[in-house]
Amino acid sequence: MARYATDEPIYALATPYSPSALAVIRASGSGVLSMIAPYFSASILDKPSLSAIHGYIKDKDGSLIDEVVAIKYAKGHGYTSEEAFEIMCHGSLPVIRRISRLLESIGIREAERGEFTYRAFMHGRLDLTAAEAVEEIVSARSERAGAEALSRLSGSIRKEAEAAKDAILDILASVEVQLDYGEDDVPEEWVFPSDRVNSIISRLSMIASTYSASRLYSHGASVVLIGRTNAGKSSLYNAILKENRAIVSDEEGTTRDYIESDAMIDGLPIRLFDTAGLRDTDGSVEREGIRRTRDLMKDADLIVYVLDGEEEDMYPEGGNILHVRSKRDLTGRDDALSFSSVTGEGLESVILAIKAKLVSSDTAIASVPRIDSERQLEALRSAVEALEDAEKAVPMGEDVVAMYLQSALSSLSELTGEITSDDVLERLFSSFCLGK
Amino acid sequence: MDYDAIVIGGGHAGIEACLALSREGFETLLITQSLDAIGRMSCNPSIGGLAKGNLVREIDALGGEMAHLIDSTMIQYRILNRRRGPAVQAPRAQADKFSYSRLAKETLERQPHLHLFMDTVTDLLIDGNAVAGVVTERGWRISASVVVLTTGTFMDGRIFIGEYDAPFGRLGESAAIGLGDSLRRLGFHTGRMKTGTPARVLLSSLDLDEMEIQEGDIAEPFSFDSDRVDRPSLPCYVTYTNEETHRIIRDNISRSPLYGGKIVGRGPRYCPSIEDKVIRFPDRERHQIFVEPEGTGSEEMYLNGLSSSLPEDVQRAFIHSIPGLRHAEVMRPAYAVEYDYLDPLDLYPTLESKILPSLFIAGQTNGTSGYEEAAAQGLMAGINAAERLKGNDGVVLSRTEAYIGVLIDDLVTKGTKEPYRMFTSRAEYRLSLRHDTADERLTPIGMRIGLASQEKAERFERKKEELEEVISILRSSRIAGKSAYDRLREPGQDIRELGIDALSRYPESVLSRAELDIRYSGYLLRQEREAEKTRREENMAIPADFDYDSIDGISSESREKLKAVRPMSLGQAGRISGVRVSDIAVLAVAIRSRRG
Repeated sequence: MARYATDEPIYALATPYSPSALAVIRASGSGVLSMIAPYFSASILDKPSLSAIHGYIKDKDGSLIDEVVAIKYAKGHGYTSEEAFEIMCHGSLPVIRRISRLLESIGIREAERGEFTYRAFMHGRLDLTAAEAVEEIVSARSERAGAEALSRLSGSIRKEAEAAKDAILDILASVEVQLDYGEDDVPEEWVFPSDRVNSIISRLSMIASTYSASRLYSHGASVVLIGRTNAGKSSLYNAILKENRAIVSDEEGTTRDYIESDAMIDGLPIRLFDTAGLRDTDGSVEREGIRRTRDLMKDADLIVYVLDGEEEDMYPEGGNILHVRSKRDLTGRDDALSFSSVTGEGLESVILAIKAKLVSSDTAIASVPRIDSERQLEALRSAVEALEDAEKAVPMGEDVVAMYLQSALSSLSELTGEITSDDVLERLFSSFCLGK
Repeated sequence: MDYDAIVIGGGHAGIEACLALSREGFETLLITQSLDAIGRMSCNPSIGGLAKGNLVREIDALGGEMAHLIDSTMIQYRILNRRRGPAVQAPRAQADKFSYSRLAKETLERQPHLHLFMDTVTDLLIDGNAVAGVVTERGWRISASVVVLTTGTFMDGRIFIGEYDAPFGRLGESAAIGLGDSLRRLGFHTGRMKTGTPARVLLSSLDLDEMEIQEGDIAEPFSFDSDRVDRPSLPCYVTYTNEETHRIIRDNISRSPLYGGKIVGRGPRYCPSIEDKVIRFPDRERHQIFVEPEGTGSEEMYLNGLSSSLPEDVQRAFIHSIPGLRHAEVMRPAYAVEYDYLDPLDLYPTLESKILPSLFIAGQTNGTSGYEEAAAQGLMAGINAAERLKGNDGVVLSRTEAYIGVLIDDLVTKGTKEPYRMFTSRAEYRLSLRHDTADERLTPIGMRIGLASQEKAERFERKKEELEEVISILRSSRIAGKSAYDRLREPGQDIRELGIDALSRYPESVLSRAELDIRYSGYLLRQEREAEKTRREENMAIPADFDYDSIDGISSESREKLKAVRPMSLGQAGRISGVRVSDIAVLAVAIRSRRG
C-alpha cells in the first residue's frame, strides 16, 4: 500500500498553469515558513497566523522575482492544517517557473496529485461527507493499490512495466534464494546478471521517454525562431504574439542575443524565442550571441527556420525543424508555409503548422501510449537508478544488491501495483528446490 | 488465585514464556504432559540459521534464555552466508539435544517463582469473559490471572508413517486430546497443519568415507552475555540422493499418506519432504543430504533433507540407495505429524487472544515452525502476560526494529496458510536487523521492562562505550591520507588489518560491529529514511474498541477484514491484504475525529 508522508514540505500551483492576471502557489509542511523567510523581503515569521503580507520574492542570488502577497498559516490553521503559506503572484509563466524553482532549491518538493487534499484529509480538515469525494483522489494517488491504477496506465506501457517488474522479480528471487538458504543448500555462486538488468534499464528508459511528449501540454513547448539576419524572424515573432500573446511581461534574455515570450497556440502553451541572426561573423560579441543561439536550439522542442522569401538557400534539416518563408507579399508564393507579416497572409497556417509539428514530433513515440505525470516519470527514474546502483553494489555483497533490486521493484509498484515479500517467496519456492 | 500465571506446554515457547513471567517476579506454574520432554528438539538438532540466528540473538537481547541454552550445549558452530553480506549472515549451531533438553529443565527448576507440574490440560476456566485458569486430565482446576498456551504439535496431533497412523504429538508421546475441542467450543478458529521429520540412523553403521566431511567454524556465543564459548566441535557429513533413490520414491508414492489424501494439513513449502522434492522437481538429478550428530554421547544421527511419511520399508530402501547410508541401521523412522493450530488472526500483536482476554498464545500453535520462531513468540507472550499483570500496555516490537516484530506482525496481520518460518526476505529493513546489532536494538527494551539482568545491562552499557571509543579512534587515525573510518567504508577492508595498535584491546565483537556499521553506514541511512515513514504510520494507534460499523466511507470488504484483524495501528491496517488504500485514509480521519 501507499506510503503516506505528511509534514514533508511540498508546494503546488493552485491555479492553472497558464498566463493569467494572478497565480497562487501554496506550500505546506513542517518548517516551510522558516524555509521561505530568507527569500521574502518582508518579515513573515513574527506575523500572526492568517496575515496577508505584502513584499517581494527574491531568488537565491538576491534578484527580485516578483511583487507578491503572502498569506501565513501557522500549524492548525490552513487547508492542510500543517504549517503553510500561499503566495499570490502575477500570473506570468516565467514568474511561476522562477518561484517553483526557488521552492525546489530550498527543499520544498512539488506535490503529487491530490496531495494537499490528502493531507487536509489526514489531518481531519474534511468532514466525512467530503470523504467520498476525496477517496477517489486518494485512490488515484495511491496507485500501488492496484486495479484502478492499472486501468489508468495505458496498455502497452503497463505491459512493459509489468514485464520489467517480472524480470526484476526473477532476478530478486534468484538472489534471495541465496540469501535465505545459505551456501549449504545453494552452493552455486550468484553472478549479477548484467545483460538482463541492462535490458530492463533500457526498457524502462524507453517508457520514461514518452513523458517528454505529454510534458508539452503541462509545461509548455519551447519554440526557437532562427534564420539569417533580416530573414523576417522578428516579424514572425511579433505576428505570433499579436494574435496569441500571453498577458504577461516579457522576460528578457540574459543578454540581448534573444528575447523570449509566452504564447498560447490552440491550447498549447509555448515559449517563443527570437534569436540573433545566424551568420558567420568576426565580431566576438556576435559570435557569443550565435553560441547562445545554438544552446537554445539544442534544448528546443521545435526550431522554426525562417527563410527570406526571395532567397534560395541551403538550410538545416532535422526532425524538429520547420521551414517557413517570409515576405509572401513580395514573392507572391502561395505555398502553405509562406507568410507575410505585412498583410498577415499565410500567418495562420504557419502558426497551425508550428502546433502540428510540435504535436507530431511526439507521434514518433505516440504509437505507444505514454505516462502522463511527473510522478510516474519519477517512479521510472528511481527504478532505473536503483538498478544501476544494484550493479555498483556488487562488491558490497548480495544483501545490498538485493536492497536495490527491492527498491527498483517498489518504485515500479507505484506504476502497476504492489509486490509484497510474499510474492518474492512465492517466486522463490516455485522456481527452486529448497529445504534441507 | 492459585498462581499469577499458568503456562501450558514446556517446549521452546513455553520455556521462554514461563521464565519471562517468573523472572519478573510472578508466581508461575508450568504444566507439561512430560517433565522429561522440556525443551526437546523434535526435529533437527540445531539452533539458529539464516534469519533464525537473528531471532535467537534478539531473544537474548531482550533477556530470554535460548542463546544461553545453545551456547552451553552446542557441538558445532557455523556462520552461514559469510560470503554474502553481513545483513544476511547468521550463526547456526548443532546442539547436543539431550544436554539441551536437560539444561532447559534444570534452568526452569532452579528459577525462583517458577513451579513445574506434570499433567495434561483439557479445558480452560472462564470467569466472566476472560480466562481464569485451567482444568487438567486428572481433574485439577487451577486458577490464574493470565494463561499462556503453547501446545506445539500436540493439540489433536496425529503422526503418519505410510499406512500407519497414531494419536501422537511426537513419535511415542501422546497427543493432547480434548483441548482443541474445548477451544473450538469457545469460538476459536482452528485448522490443520502438517510437518515432518526424517529418520535417525546409527553412526557406527554409516560408511563415513563415502561422504564429505563438514567441519564447523570457531565457535562464538549466541548470547551477548559472554565473549567466548568452550565447546567440542563434531563434524557433520554431506551426501546426495541419486536416480535410484528417486525411482524408489516414485514407485511407492501411492503409499504416501500425503499423496494418498490421508493428510489434509498444509505442509511447509520451504521444508518439503523428500517425496515432495522428487515429485515437484523431477529434473533435479540429486538432492543434498546432511548427516548430523544428535549429541556427543549418542550414536543417533539425523538425516537432514530426508523427511518423509512413506512406509518404513520404502524409507529403508531409499536410505540404503544413498552413498554413505547403504548399510545404515534405522533407529527411528521418519514420520509426518498433523496437528491443530489456532488462527493467529485471532490474536492482538501482544499475542493476547481477541476471543478470550488474558489468554496469550505462542509457538507452533499459532501456525509457525521452528524452535526459534516458537521461542520468540513465547518470550513476547510471557513479556506481555507480565505487562498485563502489572497493568501496563503491551510491548509490541515493530518491523523496523526486530525480526520478532516482523514475525508477529505477519502472523497477526496476514495469518498463515502453511507453517510460517522466518526468512530474511520477509523483513523490509534487514540491513538494520543484523544479528550483531540485536543488543543495541532490543536490550534497552529488556531493561525497561525489567527482564534484562543487571549484568546484561552493565555489559550493554560498556559495549556501547567501547564502540564509541573504537569509532573515535578510527576517525582520528589516518592511513595514506584518509581517515581509517573512511577507509573502512570501502568494500573488503578489514578493521584488524589496518595496523592500529590502540584497537587491539577491544573485543572481537566490538571491532566487527564497528567495521560493519561503518561499511554499511550509507546503506543503513538510506534504509533508515524508509523506515521512518513506516514508523509514522505505526504510531497512529487505533483504539481497541474502535467500531468499524460506525464509519460510512469504508468498503464492505475492507470493513470485514478490519473487523477480523482489529489492527492496533494504521500501519498494521495498511498491511492487511485486500484492504483498500482509500479505506485506510477514511479510517485515519475517523480515528482522528474520534480522538479529538
